Amino acid sequence: MTGERKRVALVIGAGSVKCAAALGLWKVLKREGIELDMVVGCSGGSLYATLMALGYDVDECEAMTIAMWNRKITSRRDYVSMLGAFLPKLFKFKGHFGMVNGEPLLRALELPFAGKTFADTIMPLYIVATELLSGHQATLSQGRIVDAVRASIAIPYIWSPWEVDGKLMLDGCLSAPLPVDVAIKEGADVILAMGFESPYPRKIRSATSYAFHVNSIYTNNLFRANYSFHNLAHHAEILPIVPEFGEPVNLFDTHKFAHVIACGERAAEEQVPYLRQLLGLGQQPSAQAT
Amino acid sequence: MDIVVEHRTVTTIVRITGSVDGLTADTLLATLQQQIDAGNIRLIGDLSDVSYTSSAGLRALLATVKHARQHGGDFRLAAVRPAVHKVLEMSGFTSILKMYDDVDLAVASFAA
Repeated sequence: MTGERKRVALVIGAGSVKCAAALGLWKVLKREGIELDMVVGCSGGSLYATLMALGYDVDECEAMTIAMWNRKITSRRDYVSMLGAFLPKLFKFKGHFGMVNGEPLLRALELPFAGKTFADTIMPLYIVATELLSGHQATLSQGRIVDAVRASIAIPYIWSPWEVDGKLMLDGCLSAPLPVDVAIKEGADVILAMGFESPYPRKIRSATSYAFHVNSIYTNNLFRANYSFHNLAHHAEILPIVPEFGEPVNLFDTHKFAHVIACGERAAEEQVPYLRQLLGLGQQPSAQAT
Repeated sequence: MDIVVEHRTVTTIVRITGSVDGLTADTLLATLQQQIDAGNIRLIGDLSDVSYTSSAGLRALLATVKHARQHGGDFRLAAVRPAVHKVLEMSGFTSILKMYDDVDLAVASFAA
């Protein structure tokens, strides 16, 4: 890295409710006066990346995610889709399926994102999804934000894929659970990488939990493989920020938001002295005040 | 970051204190490579006092492993703290590096 100002990126990986830890990290960055040059999100991380890029403050983000991410979004089964999947001769199979009706999810995403496009963001925003047919990673950075986020969180078998630019897209975690590569490609020097591995259940009690478990095995191994390569490939610095939650945090544990955010804040605070040194910012504001 | 080098009969132990990151990686790498170039190719990194490692630190560790193995030796890690272990695991290092609970076990591994 040269003496020029370093470009800072925040990358928030897949992790459902755990991704709210990024709000804790963001609080710390705000307090320290550290500005981001871009934000990248995948799956659950795309929600927070987008809220930040649209300029909402931390409290607004928390309130919006509580309103958005709750059990209502999985309350309706998609029986038509399931019949097509399990009885394809009687009910035509359309090439994909999801067990949950996507309408409540779409309505929830429209609370904060209706009418918003990537042009409305205050900093560059990149959302990662996965093309269903080719399997390629797709980095979305223009068009309707609702579409990009809906595609990025299309958990396989739960929600149907979502069409963006004429292509059906699935959850970004299938190709890049922690898309550090996007930040590298877009010219970031210092990359704050907040990633989460999917937890494994103690017991597999149903076909659904078996499908989730197998999916987690794939994505966790992909997470590590990608992260290994990106660590070695980057010319500058990737700071892993991996909060310790001390307890399981499941898909809809929104009642744990405060705890998750606090864990993210703590994990970020541990990196502050090094981050400030790296960015040439000198002493911490709190240290200067004393 | 502090680095203390201790030579034993067969192995060389490098005790590292602090963070292995972009600000310290060059110094660490230079020290470790110096040891290998001097013929101390059975190296053990004592990480019991290392609290953090970033991508730059990981690159320094990897370069050392490759350098040591090219010279017929190895670079093994001992007493890695859980937070650092997690990063090493995320980064695939635990599948290519030999790691031991303490320095004595790492020393013994070179005798095996």
